[in-house]
Order: sequence, then structure tokens, then C-alpha cells
Amino acid sequence: MGHTLLSNVRVFDGSGDPPFDGEVVIEGDVITHVGRAGQGAAFMPTPAHTVIDGAGCFLMPGMVEAHTHFSWNNQPSLDAIARMPPEEHILWCAEVARTYLDMGWTSCVGAAAAKPRLDVVIRNAIADGTIIGPRLTAASQEITLPGGLGDTTQPHLPQAAFAFGAVVSGQDDMRRCVRQFCKYGVDTLKINLSGESITGMPSEQSQFTEEEIATCVQEARAWGKWVAAHARSTWSVKQCVQHGIQVIYHASFLDDEALDLLDAHRHAHFVAPGLAWLVNTCEHASAYGLTRPVVEKMGYPRELEAALESMRALHRRGVHILPGGDYGFAWMPHGQNAKDLEIFVRQLGMSEREALLSATARAAPLMRSPKPLGMVRAGYLADLLLIDGDPLTDITVLQDRQRILAVMKGGTFVRHPPSRPNAASHSDARWRNRWSR
Amino acid sequence: MHSTLLTHVRVLDGSGAPPYTGSVLVQGQRIRQIWRSAVPMSVPDAHTIDAAGATLMPGMCEAHTHFSWNNAASLAAIQVMPLEEHVLWSAKVAHDYLLAGWTSCLGAACAKPRLDVVIRNAINKGQIPGPRYLAASQEITVPGALGDEMPPHLPYPEFSFGAVVNGPEDMRRCVRQFLKYGVDTIKLNLSGDNFTPDSPAETHWMTDAEVATAMEEVRMRGKRAIAHARSGPSVQQALRHGIDLIYHASFCDERTLDMLEAARDRVFVVPGIGILYAVLYEAEPWGITRAQAEALGYPIEWEAALQSLSAMHRRGVRVMPGGDYGFAFTPHGQNARDLEHFVRYLGMSPMEAIRSCTLYGGQIMQRPQELGLIREGYLADLLLVDGDPLVDLAILRDPARLLGVMKDGQWAKAPPARRLGAWEARA
Repeated sequence: MGHTLLSNVRVFDGSGDPPFDGEVVIEGDVITHVGRAGQGAAFMPTPAHTVIDGAGCFLMPGMVEAHTHFSWNNQPSLDAIARMPPEEHILWCAEVARTYLDMGWTSCVGAAAAKPRLDVVIRNAIADGTIIGPRLTAASQEITLPGGLGDTTQPHLPQAAFAFGAVVSGQDDMRRCVRQFCKYGVDTLKINLSGESITGMPSEQSQFTEEEIATCVQEARAWGKWVAAHARSTWSVKQCVQHGIQVIYHASFLDDEALDLLDAHRHAHFVAPGLAWLVNTCEHASAYGLTRPVVEKMGYPRELEAALESMRALHRRGVHILPGGDYGFAWMPHGQNAKDLEIFVRQLGMSEREALLSATARAAPLMRSPKPLGMVRAGYLADLLLIDGDPLTDITVLQDRQRILAVMKGGTFVRHPPSRPNAASHSDARWRNRWSR
Repeated sequence: MHSTLLTHVRVLDGSGAPPYTGSVLVQGQRIRQIWRSAVPMSVPDAHTIDAAGATLMPGMCEAHTHFSWNNAASLAAIQVMPLEEHVLWSAKVAHDYLLAGWTSCLGAACAKPRLDVVIRNAINKGQIPGPRYLAASQEITVPGALGDEMPPHLPYPEFSFGAVVNGPEDMRRCVRQFLKYGVDTIKLNLSGDNFTPDSPAETHWMTDAEVATAMEEVRMRGKRAIAHARSGPSVQQALRHGIDLIYHASFCDERTLDMLEAARDRVFVVPGIGILYAVLYEAEPWGITRAQAEALGYPIEWEAALQSLSAMHRRGVRVMPGGDYGFAFTPHGQNARDLEHFVRYLGMSPMEAIRSCTLYGGQIMQRPQELGLIREGYLADLLLVDGDPLVDLAILRDPARLLGVMKDGQWAKAPPARRLGAWEARA
């Protein structure tokens, strides 16, 4: 890990300020200097610095995906996702991790794994260099209850190995389950508080008892872990606030009381709606049998409307909304995650600037990183993207691999700027080419 | 179609023929054309690399590979790695082998049932980088023999390094299970091993009925079996049952050597000589002192193995490199050291040592018409080496001297232009 001087770049630093022309110095894994053109002398590189002329390109913090499922394997159902054997599944996760990093997501918040240890193992393998991937906080499986979202066992196949989630019933069982995942080393416990219409239990239903939720949160707290909730229904969102569940996924159906609660406790929670799931399930899943009449019967168009309304209301109130969520299904494959930012801009009325902040500085605290990240600022981890184009005028450039010129994680280029001779990008060329399709 | 033209290469074609200077054109995944001329050729649209006299040789074949051995010092420590980590480890090792010039590997057994199969499949579909790979089963063994690592109070298969069977019908079920998983080879532990003192190298464990049943299933499905056979009788047992892939073969008397010679057109012997040497001379940091190595019988086996293998080589039996890298004292990546051992201890010439991992490689991978040589029409598995391996085989295990590794016409490790330039200046 050498030193790098990125000169002649247009810096979006994640503070909310407008971008400025300048230069960024990286030493080891952190940013040590951010200079503005015309303010003070230019940085004088030493022979230890690799100097890269950014040619005026847009430099921004690496993005944070707030709701990541590496182990979702682009299948059309939970059952099909879960059915992959564990050996293939871990290789799949490693491949997806690399895709995310390649697409500019230098940090990912694990939102549930399809088998107990997948997230933990991938996080550790990334950290020790066995595989290449983003920073990851590792999640448990989805904790659910008999008949709830994620219980994919069938009456004649009741074995746990057939279940997508970890199925518990009662406080003691919940405690045992949370302890098991804590033992495995997760960072986050995922609990399914509401249903999900496609699985048969409607999104507006809530499923766990207060006692079970309290046990989950209490045990997680004892281990120093966070809890993330699948919470589409009104009541489940209120439960999140009531129990102090840090991460709220979806929050589609918000009444005034729920909005007031989230507004009042905005610093205690992170909200990531995963809107792309609703959009794509309504509009792009007919090839998988989810035709318009089918999704209408399930209630998805109605939920999409409700969710957009809820998120607009939160946004108006200044509550932060974060991108990411549920990529990894057949009709929303991994890698397109920046589509969320486009939805934020087009459907929620966010400015491009706010959408970029939501993908960087605002989501960064979710990573619980000892070293700060999410901004281009001295002392911050050098997770950086060099973009061809201006996301502040066209947010969709972040969905285009060709426009993401370079990806740096922790001071090391994962993808080099193209001007550099291809000396380092040669290895495993065929492997890399998979991402470019 | 993507083309690469290598000019100014010294072609060591892998057949045993002397090297020549020329140019080699790779198109798609195959060697399209070879020119025997010092005059550099020019081909429109081909990516041209002036190799400045570097050696071009076929990618090497490791004939006894354990991706899932995780550089631990005992079988139990290898086995205890959790499944998920074990898969990622195996994937990393596969990539490392390719980068080290091993473009083909013959799986010799894996530490959990599906590891080899999954890695082979992932390589074949381009999900992970790795060599051509033939996937093995776990080591199939019997209670108490090499590979049965179950402690008496923990009699669960998860604790066992190998798959433990008892009796012909149990063997049949076990072999069928691995065939169902999709292995290319079935590994049978016929002899013991001095590494496991309760089942030393010259002990025998499997009944003929068990081996015959395994081979019946193997043949029915068109697969091959591999024998762990350190003792003479175990080598004979393997040959009797038609097992062509014989590992170790340390103790071979005249009769055994005669049988091997008679079967030399179908048999490959892969001794795994590196681990004998390492346990004897280099394992002290991991607690295996010289005294312990002697108590385990390693000096005796080392001497016997050198005699047996030298005799095999003289009699024209194909002896190949590879084997049992992946222990603490034989870490992955140093596999090419076997070639040096072959020259130093078995009486091979450097050319014969090269041939043992090139020409023989294509044969043991069962693709002799298209793999293992630099010939027009052959698969473009190629190494570009800074220097002459015939003068110093050790350069083959120096990553800095291995300038380029190509598999299927694509660089797994591309020759860095600047380093080639420096080489040119030095030459």
C-alpha cells in the first residue's frame, strides 16, 4: 500500500458543500490531505507517491449500500435462493462481493444471509485478504417465526435446512437463536417484524410478540450488536422505535404517528426503504410470472404508492433515507444498486446532491468503522471513486460500470484509472471480464 | 478472435526435444502457428509481445494436488476448518497454483466431500481463476487406517479427514456417493503412512474385495481411481485391480518394479517426494525433530523411495511431480521443487524433469492430443520464463522469474512489459 496523489480532480467531499477543484493525498489506508485549487501551494509529491492526474474527473467517497444480501443468488424465490449448496453459495457470495466493490460500493451493510455463516465468513475473508470485496458488516439469517416471512419449510419437509430464515418461537428460542448468531460473529441481527406479500403473509401484517422482540434486542445489546428489522407494516415500524432497533428496512406504510416517531427519533435510526424491490416487482417481473394482475392481487402497486408517499413525507421532514436493498433477485440482479439513487431523485424529489450524501456520509455511520469513512477529508479512510461525468447533474452515471473509472478501497486501487498501463489489471482478466457483461 | 503473438521466444516444447528460437501465435484458446526462426514474425491485429529471448514452455501439470490442504501441520488441523472457509481457501489456492505456473492439476483428494468438485466447476464456468482441474473424492479409508481421524469418543464422520468405509457394500455406497457428487477420480488409501504412527507406510488395510468393488463402480462410470500406496504390496494391489494412478510407491521390490514396468503405458507414479524430504529435513519448526522423523521411519522410507523411483525412471515408468504440498512444512506454491528433487535424487536429466510435468501432464489429464506440448493446434497453456529452466530448475518456483502464465490463450499472469525490457537490457 503506497502513497498516492490524485491531482486535478473535482472533489465532492461528502460534507454537502458544492464540489471543488483540487487534489487528494492518500498515505497508507487514509486520506492525509485534501487541497483546493487556488488555496495554498500545491502538494509536492515525494518519490513514494504515485501521482495520478485525474483529468478533472469527479472524485467522491466510495458508496455505502445500506441493505446488502450477497447471498441472494439472482433467483426468483426465497426457496430457490436457499437451495444452493453451501460450497457453491460461499463462492457465489465472494463473486458478488467483488461485483459490489467493482461498482463503487466500498462499504456494504449486511442485511441478512441465506445460510447462518455466509456473511460472517465473507466479511472475515475480505478483511484477511483471501477474497476481494467491500467493507462489510455481517448479518445473521433473517430471524422469523413459524409461518412467517422466511419460513420456507414445507409441512412434509420441516427440517431447518429447508428454511430460508432462522425460525424461532418464544422468548427462549429467540434468545438461543440470537446467541447462536452472536457466537458466529455477526455484527447485526436481522429480524422480520412484518410480512412480505410475495410470500403469502401480507406486508401490512406484523408477526412477532413484544416479548420476543424485546428478547432479541436485549440479547443483541448484551453482545454489543445491532438489530435490523424487515418492517413494512405501520405497526412494525413503531415497534422498531419502541424497542430501539437501529436499522429499519422498508417502512412502506407510515401513518402520522409513525412519521412523528421517526421524525422525533431520527438520530437513533437508519431508514433504508429498498424501493427498487417494489418498483421492479411491479414493473419488471412479469417474465417470472409476476404479471400485472398477479402483483396487483399481491398488493405491490398499492404498497409502492404507499412507500413512495411515506418516503416523500420523511424526506420533507428531513429524515435521512438511505439507498440499497434486496438486489439479488432474478428481476433485480446484483450490481444495479445505484438505481436506488435514481429512484430517490426521480420519485422522491431528492436533489442529486442529497442522493449522493445518502450513499456516502449519511450511510457511513452504519458501518461502525473505527476509522471514519464516507467523506473525502483528511483522516478518513481512503475509499474513493473517480467518475467520468457529473452525478450531480446525471445520477444515472453511477449505474454504468464504464463511467466508474476507478475504485479505491483503503488506499489501494481495486480498479485502476484507465490511463495507467494495464500492468496490474492483467491478472485474471477473464475473471474480471465477467463483471463487464 | 483474440490473438497474441510471442516473438523472440526460446521454445522448450515439452516433448524432450531441444529448444529452438522462434515465434508463437496464439489465437483464441489454442496455439495457432509456430515459426522456427530468429526473425520476429508480424501478424496483423495480434497483440505482440517481444519476449527478448525468454523461455516459452508448456504450462506445468501438478499430478497430485490437494487444494484443500490448508498449510496446517496435521490431518486433524486440516479437517477442522469450517466448510465455508474451506471453500474460499481452496479457491485461493487454485488461483495461486495457476499463478505459479501449474495450468493443470490432478486432484488427489479433498478434505471435505465436495470441495474438489465445487472448485473444478467454479473454474470451468469462469467464476474463479484456476488451473484445469480433475476433481477427487475424499480419501476413502477403513477404520483405523490413514485418514480415519475420528477420536474414539467423537465417532462422527465430520471429525474424519477421510471417508471411512467398512466392507464391500459400504465401499460401493461411498464410491457411488462421490460419483453422484461428480468427482473425476476416486481416492483409495491402500497403504498406511509414516505420518500416522498407528498406520505406518508398510501396513495394509483394504481387502481385495473392497478394492474390487470400488473399481467395479469406478469402471462402470468411466472414471479413474487413485491409490495411496507406499508399500510394495499396496502398489501390487493397485496394479492388480487396474488402478493407473499410483501415489508414493516408496517400497518397491523387483517383482513390484516388474509389474510397474509391464504396466508403464497406462500407469503414472506420482511419489510426492517433496513431503518425504521436508519431514526429514525441514519440519523441525513444526515439532517434527530429526529424532521423531527417524522414529516415524522417514530415513528408511526416503532411501527406499529414492531406490524405487530411480529404478522406475530407468525402466521407463512415468514418474511425475506434485504431491502433498499444503502442509505446514510443504506450503502450497513450492511444488516445482519436486523437479529439482527428481534431478538430484532420481537421476533424471533436467529435460526429463521438464517432460514429466509437460508431456506427461497432457497424458495424465487424458488430453494428450491437445495438452502438455507447444504444438500447433494444442491448447495455449504456456509459461514465459526469465532464464533457462534446463540450466536452473529452481527458477520455476520463483514468481519473479515466471514472467507470464497463460491458460486457454488468456494471460492469468501477463508479462509486465517493463520487466521484460529490463531483462532484455541485462541480456
